[in-house]
Amino acid sequence: MRNRSHRGRVGPGPLAATAAALALVLAGCGSGDGGDDGGEFSGELTLLTPIYEGSDGQRLLEEEILPAFYEQYPDLKVSVDYTTYGNLNEKLTTAVASGLVPDLMMMGVGWVEAFAANGVLANLTELGVTTESLNEVYNPAIVQGGVVDGSVYALPVMLDTRFGCVRSDILADAGYDEPPSNLEELREYARELTVRNDDGTLERAGFDMLSMDLRQMYEVFLFANGGSLFTEDLSAPAFNSPEGVEALQFLVDLIHTDRVEDIGFSSTDAEVHPLLNGRAAMGVCHNNLWVSLQEAAPELADQIQPFLITGTQPGMFFGGTLVTVSANSDKQEAALALAQHLTSAEASLLANEQRGNVPARTDLLDSDYVQSNPLVQFAMENLQYAQREGGPPQWLEIRGDFAPAVEAALLGEKSAQQALDDLAAAATEAMSR
Amino acid sequence: MTTPTPAVAVPAEPATGDAVPPRRGAPAPATRRRSARRSPLRAQRRAGWLLLAPALAHVAFWIAIPVVAALALSFTDYTVLRPPRWIGLDNYVEILGDEVFRQATWHTVVYTFFTVPVAMAVAVVFAVLLNQRLLGRAFYRAAMFLPHVTATVAISMVWLWMFNPQYGVLNAALSFLGLPTQVWLSDPDLALWSVILVGIWQGIGIKMLIYLAALQNLDQSLYEAASIDGASKVQQFFRITLPLLKPATFFVFVVSIIGAFQVFELIYVLTDGGPANATTMMTYEVYRSAFEDFRMGLASAQSVVLFACLLILTLLSRRLTRSHDE
Repeated sequence: MRNRSHRGRVGPGPLAATAAALALVLAGCGSGDGGDDGGEFSGELTLLTPIYEGSDGQRLLEEEILPAFYEQYPDLKVSVDYTTYGNLNEKLTTAVASGLVPDLMMMGVGWVEAFAANGVLANLTELGVTTESLNEVYNPAIVQGGVVDGSVYALPVMLDTRFGCVRSDILADAGYDEPPSNLEELREYARELTVRNDDGTLERAGFDMLSMDLRQMYEVFLFANGGSLFTEDLSAPAFNSPEGVEALQFLVDLIHTDRVEDIGFSSTDAEVHPLLNGRAAMGVCHNNLWVSLQEAAPELADQIQPFLITGTQPGMFFGGTLVTVSANSDKQEAALALAQHLTSAEASLLANEQRGNVPARTDLLDSDYVQSNPLVQFAMENLQYAQREGGPPQWLEIRGDFAPAVEAALLGEKSAQQALDDLAAAATEAMSR
Repeated sequence: MTTPTPAVAVPAEPATGDAVPPRRGAPAPATRRRSARRSPLRAQRRAGWLLLAPALAHVAFWIAIPVVAALALSFTDYTVLRPPRWIGLDNYVEILGDEVFRQATWHTVVYTFFTVPVAMAVAVVFAVLLNQRLLGRAFYRAAMFLPHVTATVAISMVWLWMFNPQYGVLNAALSFLGLPTQVWLSDPDLALWSVILVGIWQGIGIKMLIYLAALQNLDQSLYEAASIDGASKVQQFFRITLPLLKPATFFVFVVSIIGAFQVFELIYVLTDGGPANATTMMTYEVYRSAFEDFRMGLASAQSVVLFACLLILTLLSRRLTRSHDE
């Protein structure tokens, strides 16, 4: 009996030994030896990035951007963990849960608040980075995407912007010289430009909304209609304000009353954007449409024209990618040096060019890349109208419910008011936790 | 008087009288024999445990500990970014009031209700057909089994293309027949049925394989006797084949229900739970809570609810199986 009982129970010895062994293994898998040593850095830095994806991105980072960094810091080595925005959540969650947080993490606008508020990110202001110094290089609205409670936690690398685009050749055929200048004109143009065949099947959408993530598409109209996501003090949702409801109702009407696009006509995973294959005359587009155009339909270079969707004010949405440093990194200064390198004019220009994105740095407006890309140039020239998403630390939780809510309204399952009120109730609950 | 001769010859004592007496403390011969028997048993047991050890370690580390951890976390508010905070049954209360999770549960039940019996019915028919002597039988069997061994993500990508409203083969077929085309995955009334269709198609292979194995063990004399009695092939199928396949049917039923409740990749790739949550399932909500909302505590509670559902279904199925066996 005594023997069996002894065998059945695991004493603290083996557990402690296992824990010690695990700790050793984990330490071995960590960021290597060496640490900050004055101005001389050595050892290994780990970087988690949702950009530089694909073989082109990887080549760019490893053959052009990092070698320039190594010239300055020859004793540092950067180990890169590539992912996509689609999988970034999982990567970050598992990294934080396991305690194996990379030294540098790239993340989106709206993400920083949650990680900073919970102590995952290093306060870069304590390392000498100030909002004032950043405002000299970036648009202040963009800098704010990395600022929490007055302290800098992230440096901007690139922007993703959404605005209106038209096919000027299709507009010209219908007798329109310019893109619509307000929402009523947009509705009128869209109705006129919609083409259906004899049995009513949609052949050309007058205004395409469905190729864009529904949350971001709605936000463009929300901002254009003078609405905002949250109250100024970020204490409550504001997207279900009259402006927000009116913006969503406008979109619902475009589909159900004006019938300028049918549900299912396009989607975010459409292989070719409907503006490029003539299945849409106008739509909400991302600045990287230009890259798709160069690949799929370069002959349309003169026909795609950006415009600001304007309600009570011009509306443009911007997201983007920022680089952060882990609060647990034992090489924060070295990590900051790499962050500053990745956000330098040369490195960020290369990264933006590869993705067709908008450089966050204002000094790149005159670069050849920006000047040769009409959509990026348009975005940079109108950044004063751009608004970002996020704000409260709970944004990551709230944003996932946005698309189903907008979708429910567009499908007619809920009224615009009901859809946004339900979403606001869920957001309020999340913010109260 | 003569001494009676013993019936069994007893070995004679050594004549020399120098037999070694038993040592003090040494076991009696009977005890020694038992010990000799026990020793190899003990060695066998040790070897058994040794062989089992990797599997036990796997179960303990990868199943038991996560299950206990999930159960414990389900009573906490754990967002990964903050340490867990005990909140009692709050997560379960939230799940009960969560309209989306209720929808997800209903969709899971509908998905299971349609994919399992339909795929089983199709599988048994194919198994019977492919149990006949057909030209290219091995090819057909392999072709039927292929979806089961192909990655679900790859299958979903192919079906995504087939469902494409503009270029997809399904709409091309409808157009060819002069029927109106459909937006398979964007119409909330069609999306779940589209996913169910893929689920049925993917599930046929493994079910057919199990039925095929069972069919090959059936006693052929029953069919010969039935033929002599004049039973048609259809009668033989319904009166002999199906009843004899009952044990296989129960096995397939239990395994398929568990598999259907765990459907995830199809939803992840095909619909993302949409449109407007029309195809979200329990597993997908667990994923969303954990990796989109960072609410590990809630996701753990949802996992426990899913586990409870599966446990009840499995126990019910076992009860049915046992009553059948008895």
